[in-house]
Amino acid sequence: MKASYIWLKEFVDFNLLPEELSHTLTMAGLEVEAIEEVEEDTIFDIGITPNRPDCLSIRGIAREISAVLEIPSKDISAGVEKEEGEGPVVEIENSGLCPRYSSRIITGVKSGPSPEWLSKRLESCGIRATSNIVDITNYVLLELGQPMHAFDLDKLSGKKIVVRQAGAVNKFRTLDDEERDLSKETLLIWDAEKPVAIAGVMGGRNTEVSESTLNILLESAYFNPSSVRRTSRSLNLSTESSYRFERGVDIEAVTLALDRAAQMIAEIAGGRVTKITDKYPGPFEPKKISVSFKKICSVIGVDISESFVEKRLRNLGFRVEREGEGIVAIPPAYRNDVERDVDIIEEVARLYGYDNIPSTMPFMQMSSPPEHKRQELVKILKNSMTKSGFSEVINFSFLNPDALEKLNLPSEDRRRNLVYIKNPLRKEESAMRTTLIPSLLNNVSMNLKRGEKMLRFFEVSRVFLSSGQKLPDEITQLAAIYHKDMSVSIWQDKHDGFYNLKGALENLFMELKIKEYSFERDTSSVEPYLHPGKSCSITINSQKAGSLGTLHPGVADAFDIKGNVILLEIHDIEKIQMALPGKTTYVSLPMYPYVERDIAIIVSKDITVEQAKKIIQGIDSDIIESITLFDIYTGKPIPDDKKSLAFSIRYRSAEKTLTDSEVDAVHSRILKRLEAQLKAELRS
Amino acid sequence: MIQRLLITSSKWSKKGMLNDIESIKNLARDEISNARCLQDIYDLKVKYLGKKGLLTGKLKSLGSIPREERPAFGRILNESKNFIESLLRKQEDIFKSSELDKSLRTEQIDVTVPGCFIPTGHLHPITQVLDEISGIFISLGFTVEEGPEVELDYYNFEALNFPKDHPARDMQDTFFISDDVVLRTHTSSVQVRVMEKSSPPLRVIAPGKVYRCDADVSHIPMFHQLEGFMVDRHIHFSDLKGVLELFIHRVFGRDTSLRFRPSFFPFTEPSAEIDISCVICNGSGCNVCGGTGWIEILGAGMINPRVYEKAGYDPELYTGFAFGLGIERVAMLKYGIDDIRLFPENDKRFLEQF
Ligand SMILES: [Zn+2]
Repeated sequence: MKASYIWLKEFVDFNLLPEELSHTLTMAGLEVEAIEEVEEDTIFDIGITPNRPDCLSIRGIAREISAVLEIPSKDISAGVEKEEGEGPVVEIENSGLCPRYSSRIITGVKSGPSPEWLSKRLESCGIRATSNIVDITNYVLLELGQPMHAFDLDKLSGKKIVVRQAGAVNKFRTLDDEERDLSKETLLIWDAEKPVAIAGVMGGRNTEVSESTLNILLESAYFNPSSVRRTSRSLNLSTESSYRFERGVDIEAVTLALDRAAQMIAEIAGGRVTKITDKYPGPFEPKKISVSFKKICSVIGVDISESFVEKRLRNLGFRVEREGEGIVAIPPAYRNDVERDVDIIEEVARLYGYDNIPSTMPFMQMSSPPEHKRQELVKILKNSMTKSGFSEVINFSFLNPDALEKLNLPSEDRRRNLVYIKNPLRKEESAMRTTLIPSLLNNVSMNLKRGEKMLRFFEVSRVFLSSGQKLPDEITQLAAIYHKDMSVSIWQDKHDGFYNLKGALENLFMELKIKEYSFERDTSSVEPYLHPGKSCSITINSQKAGSLGTLHPGVADAFDIKGNVILLEIHDIEKIQMALPGKTTYVSLPMYPYVERDIAIIVSKDITVEQAKKIIQGIDSDIIESITLFDIYTGKPIPDDKKSLAFSIRYRSAEKTLTDSEVDAVHSRILKRLEAQLKAELRS
Repeated sequence: MIQRLLITSSKWSKKGMLNDIESIKNLARDEISNARCLQDIYDLKVKYLGKKGLLTGKLKSLGSIPREERPAFGRILNESKNFIESLLRKQEDIFKSSELDKSLRTEQIDVTVPGCFIPTGHLHPITQVLDEISGIFISLGFTVEEGPEVELDYYNFEALNFPKDHPARDMQDTFFISDDVVLRTHTSSVQVRVMEKSSPPLRVIAPGKVYRCDADVSHIPMFHQLEGFMVDRHIHFSDLKGVLELFIHRVFGRDTSLRFRPSFFPFTEPSAEIDISCVICNGSGCNVCGGTGWIEILGAGMINPRVYEKAGYDPELYTGFAFGLGIERVAMLKYGIDDIRLFPENDKRFLEQF
């Protein structure tokens, strides 16, 4: 709402400079968002909260200034000087939708441009001046907050007004020359045969006031706020009128505005004004609100005197009576936001000044300290990933549905079952994420385009999976991406990245003391966007919990990424949560020394380290303490289809110091078993 | 000299023997102190203590000493041997350490070569700010609660006294999933969910993602909020001021001033907006604060009794306050970030600054 300093001063004679007035308004809850100097005037742009439609006018803001500064405000004394003839015929079909409709006819007007002072004032407040009659209705709207409409009387069939819903009529052409689709419930203004306006929103093209208009019918009404809002929303049409009606205008000031406008038209455009027709089937019923002084002081937290409460509420236009240990307050019709005791308390606090209320600390009983297991886990996950060199990204929860196509997800995949947004900003953000992978790929692609290298990102966020219920399942996932370009700097590892990401996860498991996990090559369940030969599933406590692998080259192309990309996904961090060990138990340190023996074998290339390890672990001996891989070698002199694996095996007995021969016996059994089961040869 | 010693030793006399030993000792001391290098020391060791060494020779000649004199001479010879040995050892240590020094000085490394480590990753600035703020409230005894991001209209609006067809809904541009399911527009949606499952006293914070159908230079469609609320029998508006003041001072420093302005939120009454003195210009006026010296940072108020009614609390019995703040806004002020769109962009050069 734009308000002029000079115009306000016509209503209340405050002694404040524009900056001071701005501060006063802001601290009273009418936030001045901008101040603009216009010629001799100053225009305030005030953010009026939806609960204060009474301040959507100069008169309303002036009332507020008067109450805050405790100085009187002048009210306009509108009255029509000379009335001739009867007012128009008005019928209201549904008084719930239109509790008040007042109208006058003005004959013999002379349409033309407005006087300069009027058009200037309108334009400084952001409304374009057109011609005198329309300008005057807009002037009154700004001044009193009451939307008005002028019909060309000679285009009104039967010269009468009927307020009735659209019913079977489903099209209507509005002033702006748009054909509007109407619902059955839309409240319309009709003449004897046709609709002539959408009530409270916009007038019709068919009865528009033009330069040749001689006689007009002036409308000032109160329409049901919800009804106007529904109409305005369904038409996607918000006007100065609908904005005020849907918040609630002052039903008691409807005729005041009508008279003000009629008198101004008679003065500026000439013409004769008829008597008023004022249909008021739903009269205003004042609310009586009781509140005790004790409650006022208790809610605010400071002692405020009874006289202060009474006086300041009266300044705001409330009627106040004593009632026992408190008051009964009756708010004026324009304060439709004040409904119960807390609303009265807010008014008192506001006028007392929030800044004058002291700061205290609440008293509260101690209670058992909260447990935040999930939040703690998320924190550990994030910190662990950063320790492994990954930076956290936070992406929008939105998904471009096309991305799933790019990931090769089959149509029956659960992640294709999207939760769509009905009103997305862009098609690329039209669904909720069912996987974090496309976001991470986009992060890498974007950073590569900006010339960045060594990209290691992770995200811990929710995905949204359709559940068949009203709300989707929201599952927190961990996903990470490792991008490696081909250049290598001095300390960089030789690996392609798979083992870096795997290592990050293993390190996380170590931090969380989770031991029951494995990485399994399982071609049947491999993700379609991963390289089928360089990927695996992650199992925690024998349950599939995620996947790890190199991005499929085709998918890399689709996301415009060059270089090597490794992806990690934990499909639900709940799986990690459930695997957390209950408590740590100390194991006694060994009493006797260990003996370490190495074993290097040559096996076929497709034998995995895990296979070899399992065989060694399977040896029936209680002196094998640990098995550590220390080398994998391919190349001369090993044949092309073979590789060498070297393990260091640590032997230890809990009962005694082992002798060489005891160790040798087990060590040679290991070799024999490897030879037999893996066709391994000892590498000499 | 050696010749003389050998000659005097050929014919035994007590005095002669003592003189000989004393001479050997003196000679050894002189020679050891004149030694130039480790090799000299080794040579002297052979000369005095070797198989054919001077002192060894005396030891061998013990047999030719009268029996009764042997123990005394034995002791004297041993003491002399220890004496020479200790001189030799001392000098040897000196040479050794200086030679080590010399050789170490030639084994230089380039200490300016970068160290070897996994460069640490960085937490997103939003996570860092959220953690800091949550930590402050957790230390005050607040519990962390979460709610769904895809939320029922009921919890996001209805229960918070935003009726359908009410203009208050215009305050928040809403993404709709269906007629009664929305992307939560604020973390206040957690309030009634928590109240339904627990009874007062309540001290709760609810951090998380929220969504508004709005994107321009100063708005992003997904951002982060932290909702806090407290409900008990005697909670006052003044307590809200106290708690928020404490919080702001912890995050922005004790010199930060606060300003409480009346405002409107359907779910609080009285409602307030809280400004802090501009952390960029300290209140003198700049671009960030639009020249006013104040920056809006929080929305808050006393929880509206209508919310208690929805949750099944007795509004005559309980009072409480609620507040909400935008995390991106706090992060921007804290780090001097001038474009909110940097947060969801995830540029590595941005992330690595935090
Ligand atoms: Zn500033």
